[in-house]
Amino acid sequence: MTMRRFVDRARKDEDLAAEIESHLAHEQDAQAARGVPGEEARRRARLRFGNPRTTRERVWRYRSLPWIDDAARDLRFALRSLARTPGFTIITLLVIAVGIGVNTAVFSVVDAVLLKPLTYPDPQSLVQLVLTTDRGNFPGASIPQFALWSRQTSIFAQIAASGFTPVGANLTGVDQPEQLQALHVTRDYFALFGAPVAAGRTFTAAEDSPNGGHVAVLSYGLWKQRYGGDPAIVGRTIQLDGRPYLVVGVIGRSFVTDTPIDLWVPTQFDLNSHEMVINYVVTARLRPGVTLPQANAQLRLAADQFRRTYGAHSLPPAGGFGVVSLQEEIVGNMRSPLLILLAAVGFVLLIACANVANLLLARASARRRELATRAAIGAGRGQIIRQLLMESLALSLTGGVLGLAIGFVGVRVLLRINPGNIPRIGETGSSVGLDLNILLFTLGVSVLTGILFGLIPAIVASRPNLAAILNEGSSRSGIGFRQGKIRSILVVTEIALALVLVIGAALLVRTFRKLGEVDPGFTTHNVLSMTMSISGDRFQTTAPVAQLAREGQHRVQAVPGVLAVGASNCLPLASGFGMVFDILGRPKNGPFTGGAGFYSVSSGYFSSLGIPLVRGRAFTERDDASAPGVVVISQAMARRYWPKGDPLMDRIQIGPGAGPAFAEPPRQVIGIVGDTRNGRVDQDPGPMMYIPLAQMPDGETALNSRVAPLYWLIRTRENPYNVLAPVESALREASGDLAVAHIRTMDEVEARNIARQRFNMVLMTVFGLSGLLMAAIGVYGVMSCSVQQRTQEMGVRMALGAQAADLRNLVIGQGMILAFIGVAVGLVGALGLTRFLASFLFGVKAMDPTAFVVTPLLLCAVALLAVWVPAVRATRVDPMAALRLE
Amino acid sequence: MVLNRPPDAGDVLQGTLDMLILRTLAMGPAHGHTIAQMIEQTSENALDVEQGSLYPALHRLEDRAWLASEWGVSENNRRAKFYRLTPKGRRELAAATGRWRRMTRAIDLILGPEIE
Repeated sequence: MTMRRFVDRARKDEDLAAEIESHLAHEQDAQAARGVPGEEARRRARLRFGNPRTTRERVWRYRSLPWIDDAARDLRFALRSLARTPGFTIITLLVIAVGIGVNTAVFSVVDAVLLKPLTYPDPQSLVQLVLTTDRGNFPGASIPQFALWSRQTSIFAQIAASGFTPVGANLTGVDQPEQLQALHVTRDYFALFGAPVAAGRTFTAAEDSPNGGHVAVLSYGLWKQRYGGDPAIVGRTIQLDGRPYLVVGVIGRSFVTDTPIDLWVPTQFDLNSHEMVINYVVTARLRPGVTLPQANAQLRLAADQFRRTYGAHSLPPAGGFGVVSLQEEIVGNMRSPLLILLAAVGFVLLIACANVANLLLARASARRRELATRAAIGAGRGQIIRQLLMESLALSLTGGVLGLAIGFVGVRVLLRINPGNIPRIGETGSSVGLDLNILLFTLGVSVLTGILFGLIPAIVASRPNLAAILNEGSSRSGIGFRQGKIRSILVVTEIALALVLVIGAALLVRTFRKLGEVDPGFTTHNVLSMTMSISGDRFQTTAPVAQLAREGQHRVQAVPGVLAVGASNCLPLASGFGMVFDILGRPKNGPFTGGAGFYSVSSGYFSSLGIPLVRGRAFTERDDASAPGVVVISQAMARRYWPKGDPLMDRIQIGPGAGPAFAEPPRQVIGIVGDTRNGRVDQDPGPMMYIPLAQMPDGETALNSRVAPLYWLIRTRENPYNVLAPVESALREASGDLAVAHIRTMDEVEARNIARQRFNMVLMTVFGLSGLLMAAIGVYGVMSCSVQQRTQEMGVRMALGAQAADLRNLVIGQGMILAFIGVAVGLVGALGLTRFLASFLFGVKAMDPTAFVVTPLLLCAVALLAVWVPAVRATRVDPMAALRLE
Repeated sequence: MVLNRPPDAGDVLQGTLDMLILRTLAMGPAHGHTIAQMIEQTSENALDVEQGSLYPALHRLEDRAWLASEWGVSENNRRAKFYRLTPKGRRELAAATGRWRRMTRAIDLILGPEIE
């Protein structure tokens, strides 16, 4: 069947009409030729042909698809009907657009983070290697582990290691020195991720082996911005930390990394190394046909082999190796928060639907005579339902288009409020965009909502008792019992859903406030932090790093307005290392006594962060390489490992068995400081040990400088940004022109630490409030409609002696009964649903009494407000006027 | 219910008017009125084309690209739409004629010689 049949119907019909006219003329000629006189000839011609209109209709119908025609007619009618009530149409469109808009916004984040496959070729076969422990999986690897995994060629087609995070590298020898983000990667990294090469090549095997020389591969962004996209950069050298690096290639723009990378340098592993530091992440591509369980089984054997090669304690007793899918590793912990947000936003949409259904019911009751008339002149019930559904679909689809716009703007706003490191969304959400998934989602949601909110009103409205309605003299009699009941059910549903949302929001608000009240154990106010990359040759031993810290401390301390200065290899609330230790002279039942967070800090560190000294003494500049080894521990460490006895009497051995780089003499515990939260704010502070920067073993400093910058902490009298310029120049002088980066106050670091919780809270609050507002509108709508339709009843009551207060209380009572039922249902629902929030809560229980008492009261107050207006209106009824309506 | 009927019997019956139109146009382009008249006259007035169904058929055949049409001036010096057979239409006519012949032969065989 060809499409030709259906196109250009109107023109073809005109053509047919002309053709029939021509036929009649010829027939008339033929009749005339037989001697029939003019008028009679024409009559006979017409008689012979039959009704031309019938023929035209036959052809017209043949050229049409009946249901499309009907739908088009219904749509035209729906649009006309909606245009007649612009107020209703606009309010309804707004409610739908907001409902669909927030859904589109949240869905587009879900789409970008969870649904879209990774942008690498054949992403399903990419896996991340993890260390399995009894406390969960941990992505990370040491060089010997990588070397062993690389040999598992029966399960891995490709394997590559890269640094946990990029490290700062100072681009020097140019007009404007700049700190670049460099990532250490093994040779196969680019092939593994299918990174396109825009110019030159990636690393050779020789370049990625020890002493392979200084080479770099540039990112597309750096190439364009710094070097104007000049292909001749390949083969030239650039200066990084004062060393010449040969640029061997440029990676194409389409290669996506989660944190921005400026350039890549080879890891140059010595695969025979016994270095047990876990500084790398390893990603691999499974051989075709190899499943995750098969790979895991193989890696269990590899773990046994690892223990045999490097000793029983090279892995924790319950530890081993494993693989997880790369996508799962990247987004796994975002799944449940995003799905909960999606569910919450679905609630908002349901409330919007109930609201619109309510409005449609009110509208339908005002149109009963119109619908009855249509039924009376022959429209079937199906036709009326279809036409009313077409109206609601017209509303929902228009609302959907508006919602798409709202969603598009909304998602930008959403991601502006710092969502706290959601993976895969790019910088400020640049990878969250409009795509087919989102368009289909919005279309689907629009159609579904149109049917959802349109069906009940359409069915109710199409069931008119014709005679009764047509015989009614006016529209003043009340809404039918059934319709009133349905509207009440809808309002109860709205209130119940809104209550669930608001309780969820209340729990998250309380969580956020509790988090804000947590004392991190140090001063965050008026403390500035910044990083300085020390990855260059200069800082491969401890002495120059200690010298830099001492020199910087002196110079910055001299800046007016600076109260204290410190330096360290970690930043509280942002990063940290861990290390094992032994307590000398104490029997141990494992390979070592215990583990603790491990910071190496300058003498000014504790005072710069205002960390209180509890006992003993803190470091001074005299605790240098030539002085006896010392260590300061935290209260939590003292409590855990010295429940009895005095830690200040003991010496500890840090990093036993961790490899030659960590070999050092035992250290005397000289002081105990207050606990600080170095990981997440919502986690209890763990045991901590601090050593002086100047007393790090050289090998450890070399490893450390490669992967971590030096952090500077400056406590000031006033707003720290006021002294930023002199501090920066002081540090530049102290370091011989090294740049600083990542300049933030510790308040900002703390805010970033709880950004995710803030994001959840803000969204839930927005959803809760919009649900609450819609529910209030719903209550108001139903009650004011009911008051309006009972004007006559009110008049009679008044005439019979009812006081204004009686009438008001009557209306309020009826409205509040709906509110109470809704609250009761909502409470039950919330009790069932808030446990899904439990893992996002901190300091409050999922059954938090405050949230479960205050929120229903709030909802009742809002409902009272919403019924108050129609209730007062009921008291203003003029009994005479009401009775005269008869 | 006729069992074992030739598979294309239905097509033959339905397509009779189509086939007649195609056959008429095989002799040269013509407009609707001429086609109706020619079918009547050629069949010695045995077949009286219902003029109302002629035009739907013509339009259907044109949609199938068996016919092409253009407006012109008729023998009576009037505007008229002339239809002509396309090569595709000519092939269809041959196929339809074959189907018809097979069908009538089958019916003839069953009816046999005239029963006196």
